[in-house]
Amino acid sequence: MKRWTTVLGRVGTVLIAISLALLLVSLIPQLQLSTAKGSTHISPEQVQIAFHSQNLNPQQEVQLEVTVEGTLKVYLLEIRVELQFVNGTFDYGFNLTDLQELLSEHPDRIRWEREVENEYYERSYTPTRVMNATLVFYNPSSETALVEYDVALKSSLAPGDKVRTIAYCAAPIGVIMALPWFVNMWKQRKQS
Amino acid sequence: MGKGKPFLEVLASAIHEDYRFPFLEIFAFLYALGTFVFASFGVSITAIGATSQAMATANEVIAYGAVSSILSLPLLILIILVFKNIAYGLGSDLEKGIIQTYFSYPLKRWGILTAKLLSALGVALLLFLGIQISALYILAPDIILPQLGTVFLTYAASLSYPLLIAGIMLLLTLKLRRGGISLVVGLVLYFAMSMVSGIATIFAIFTENPISLQIISAISPSLVLQQYYIASLGDFWAPAFSEVLLYTGVSYVIVAAVFVLGYTYFSRRLNL
Repeated sequence: MKRWTTVLGRVGTVLIAISLALLLVSLIPQLQLSTAKGSTHISPEQVQIAFHSQNLNPQQEVQLEVTVEGTLKVYLLEIRVELQFVNGTFDYGFNLTDLQELLSEHPDRIRWEREVENEYYERSYTPTRVMNATLVFYNPSSETALVEYDVALKSSLAPGDKVRTIAYCAAPIGVIMALPWFVNMWKQRKQS
Repeated sequence: MGKGKPFLEVLASAIHEDYRFPFLEIFAFLYALGTFVFASFGVSITAIGATSQAMATANEVIAYGAVSSILSLPLLILIILVFKNIAYGLGSDLEKGIIQTYFSYPLKRWGILTAKLLSALGVALLLFLGIQISALYILAPDIILPQLGTVFLTYAASLSYPLLIAGIMLLLTLKLRRGGISLVVGLVLYFAMSMVSGIATIFAIFTENPISLQIISAISPSLVLQQYYIASLGDFWAPAFSEVLLYTGVSYVIVAAVFVLGYTYFSRRLNL
């Protein structure tokens, strides 16, 4: 058996083994860490914080489902906000001025944004590093918006889609590389 | 026969013996699975800010924490593989007289040992580091890419002590010409370090003197690295980055010295 066939064959079988491990990792279900759901009216030009995490990490995922009657802008921002107790109520102390200042001066802090108008919208986000994450609703219109939202923070071993895609790509490459080696081995066994 | 051909012959034969199908594949599977299962980014940004003694930046601490977390069980699997390769691979070759056959090849003795070590250590390390660093990149590219220095330093510091034991096992295997005893000694030495560093830590904390930890760091620099990044042992020892590099460098000088001894013994003293 040619040495290169053996080397490529073993690299191929290693790729198959790694793909199987990745596939197994992607099949392990996510664990729900927290959830925030509710229904709220957001007045014109008003900002509301729907979710905040001080250390969202690459093994966590924020999943948002929102149904809007009216117009709403949804932002996931990389900012740290703190809950404060002011005038008998808890408040994040983050208002429209803060949002506008952030959008104009630090656009790099916007992880994603989307305008939702009379529709259902869902989106998930997995960071590629440890970060502060804040989900902000903003009503840019002149009419009150009715918002039904469900924000879930889920934990997993690895980002499932990414890992599964790599496994699906690596496994066939591994099979192609290993096939000549397997055929040779089978032939040798048949002869002996 | 070309100049490199005998070397490749010995290397191919060693790889064939050390990684019989499907051992290599099982280890690759375990490394990949273990890396994702043990990966943890559970370092709070606020907690990092509160650690006044830590000399590193927040991103460095996160990268260090991530690498340390994935090193736990996969490193033990690597050590078992390397110890098995050195003790049983080389030991059985010495017992069966295969090394004697290699001596008839037009190849210097150090070339034969290099081929054996490349198979026993090199392939295992390549597989381990390749899978772990790729997995870390898949998980958190924005942590790993900007902190590659921290990632490699953490691996270097963590692998130094296992490599030292591998060197001692090589010496013992060559001296005794069998692998069983050296495998037991290697495993005992590996687990003894956790006990010794525990005793040294207690001694250092009670006396508020880091000398015992500094001595251990010279052969196991992961201790000084841990103190540099997360200052978990208290504020009586705050090593600077240059100190971390120094201890890591010293540990590799010791590792190199042990392997040079092994090479010298194999080249000049080993009579079969």
